[in-house]
Amino acid sequence: MSAAPRPRVAALALAVGLVLADSSVVVLALPEIYRELDTSVSGVTWVLVSFNLVMALAAVPAALIARRVGPGRTAAVGLAIFAGAGLACGLSDQLSTLVLARCVQAVGGAAAVTASLELLPASVGSERRAAAIWAAAGATGAALGPAIGGLLTELVSWQSIFLIQVPIALAAAVPILAVAKHEAATGILPTELRRTGRPHLWANLALAMVSAAIAAALFLLVLLLIEGWRLSPIGAALVVTVMPLAAILGSRLGNFVPSARGRAAAGAILVSGGLAGLGFLPKAEVALTVPPQILIGLGLSLVLSALTETALSGRAPQAIHGGWTISARHAGVVIGLLALTPIFTADIAQQRHDAIDAGTAVVLDARVSPLLKIELAQRLASRLEGEKGKVPTIGPAFEPLPSDPGDREDVEVLRGELQDQLDRGATHAFSLSFLLGALLGLIALFPIALSRRVEL
Amino acid sequence: MSEPSAARGRRRAQILVVSAIVASLALVGVYLAAGGSSYTPEKTQDPCQHRPWRDPEGLDEIAEQFSLSALDGAACKLGVSRETLVQALATPEARERFGDRYGIDEAELARAIRAGLLRAISDAEEAGALSPLLAAPLRGTIKDIPLDQAIELIQNARSLLDTAQSFLGPAEGLLETLLP
Repeated sequence: MSAAPRPRVAALALAVGLVLADSSVVVLALPEIYRELDTSVSGVTWVLVSFNLVMALAAVPAALIARRVGPGRTAAVGLAIFAGAGLACGLSDQLSTLVLARCVQAVGGAAAVTASLELLPASVGSERRAAAIWAAAGATGAALGPAIGGLLTELVSWQSIFLIQVPIALAAAVPILAVAKHEAATGILPTELRRTGRPHLWANLALAMVSAAIAAALFLLVLLLIEGWRLSPIGAALVVTVMPLAAILGSRLGNFVPSARGRAAAGAILVSGGLAGLGFLPKAEVALTVPPQILIGLGLSLVLSALTETALSGRAPQAIHGGWTISARHAGVVIGLLALTPIFTADIAQQRHDAIDAGTAVVLDARVSPLLKIELAQRLASRLEGEKGKVPTIGPAFEPLPSDPGDREDVEVLRGELQDQLDRGATHAFSLSFLLGALLGLIALFPIALSRRVEL
Repeated sequence: MSEPSAARGRRRAQILVVSAIVASLALVGVYLAAGGSSYTPEKTQDPCQHRPWRDPEGLDEIAEQFSLSALDGAACKLGVSRETLVQALATPEARERFGDRYGIDEAELARAIRAGLLRAISDAEEAGALSPLLAAPLRGTIKDIPLDQAIELIQNARSLLDTAQSFLGPAEGLLETLLP
């Protein structure tokens, strides 16, 4: 092979990180897409769901193709498709075209990720080390995704998230092209000849359930921060960075515990505990999301690595079984999003109604002068009307504040009370979905209990 | 794995699982104790229950209390909250949406609002904010008024009180004398 192993390993790791970051990189851009494309919460969810659904469906067939036509060619073509579809995503001005481009992007991504697992052992010398690099690259990508996505959304635009992927994917494809050329000239690289065994049912099932819970955590928390508590994408990116930081700590913690089942069980419990904490937030305070995020971050690194390790151990070829783990994880994300989104959208509609009623009561009972109250009520009503069913921002309705110090103080008290009612509504709207996510994490303990690792 | 290191591995796994359970329960316990299960929007009050009037300081304050009582009375009659009714009366579009949602036609709404205004007069009398001398002509005024006018009276009860004054003649300051 003509390409030096080190640039090739870096390119493969970059490809895996880039693709697996793609499901989380877009999370912080969803509220912006939601507003700009004038869609609904359910509609914007499909920007995430479509990618994960197609990844789940395409991962194993992509691994089979990689073994048939050659992993180098599959990875190179996959990255080219990923880049082209990324460009289409960035140029989309409608939800339908964006979702379609995301589907194509996932096909390319599935090919690149599974073929990479097939290519890595030849470059690093062992399947175990290849699997470790592959899993680490994916975890790093998924961990960095939200922060990068939030940064790009705020500083440039949501479109830039996709457009920046184009040169990165093409750059990653360059060292892999050498392998593809080599395959074209000499035929397919010698690959693992062991028969493809059955996928590890329990480990993959547990992966799906835990991934559903984690997707719920990330997606719902970002929506709560941006749509409910009105944080900027950059602010939300900063807040949710707690999770990947805790995940790094979790992976170090995992090194001290050899039992994969023990790590998986502890991880699932921590993810559930963190989600339950988010479900019982006692106040709309960003700081209160930190302890639950730490538990989720610690838990996700423990459980995902332990279950992936269990699903791959003793099974060959790695690409096919890696494909099954990708499939299980992304299917879990889809299940989590599809199951929880309708519940939380119905809840947010009800809570918005209750919050507006409670806010109206606050205005009616406020101790501001009647004439000022009427004026404020009219300004608030027009703001609510303008927000078209979304959680309203009430601040501007109180500007300018009255010049009279007494009135000013009364209006400030009223604004605080009104904001409190809206915060209560927005926060409570997410509670049930977080708690259901926690339940999913706990249910995953059953397949974890049944999963056993096979040593090679 | 040798026997002692296998046992050590099992013990570490047990410690990790127990720590995870303890940390999760501690977090949930602390959040629940801090009010995590009751952090919801406050429930609105039953409009059929009487709300005591605040001490009125002037005609505008009386007019405000009068409007709130009228809203309570009308909302009670319609079986909705006072707050829902306020939002419905904000614009003609909101009124239409309210009618569609609750199956209430204009005639029913008009009857309810008139009933609300009558309750407000009684509440004002009971609170000592309105003299019986004024209450009688006010009741007469609102008995058959059309819906739009009834809504306007709720939104601007001061005009109703001014109208009552005209029943008593043009004597300047009489209303202020009759109202505490």
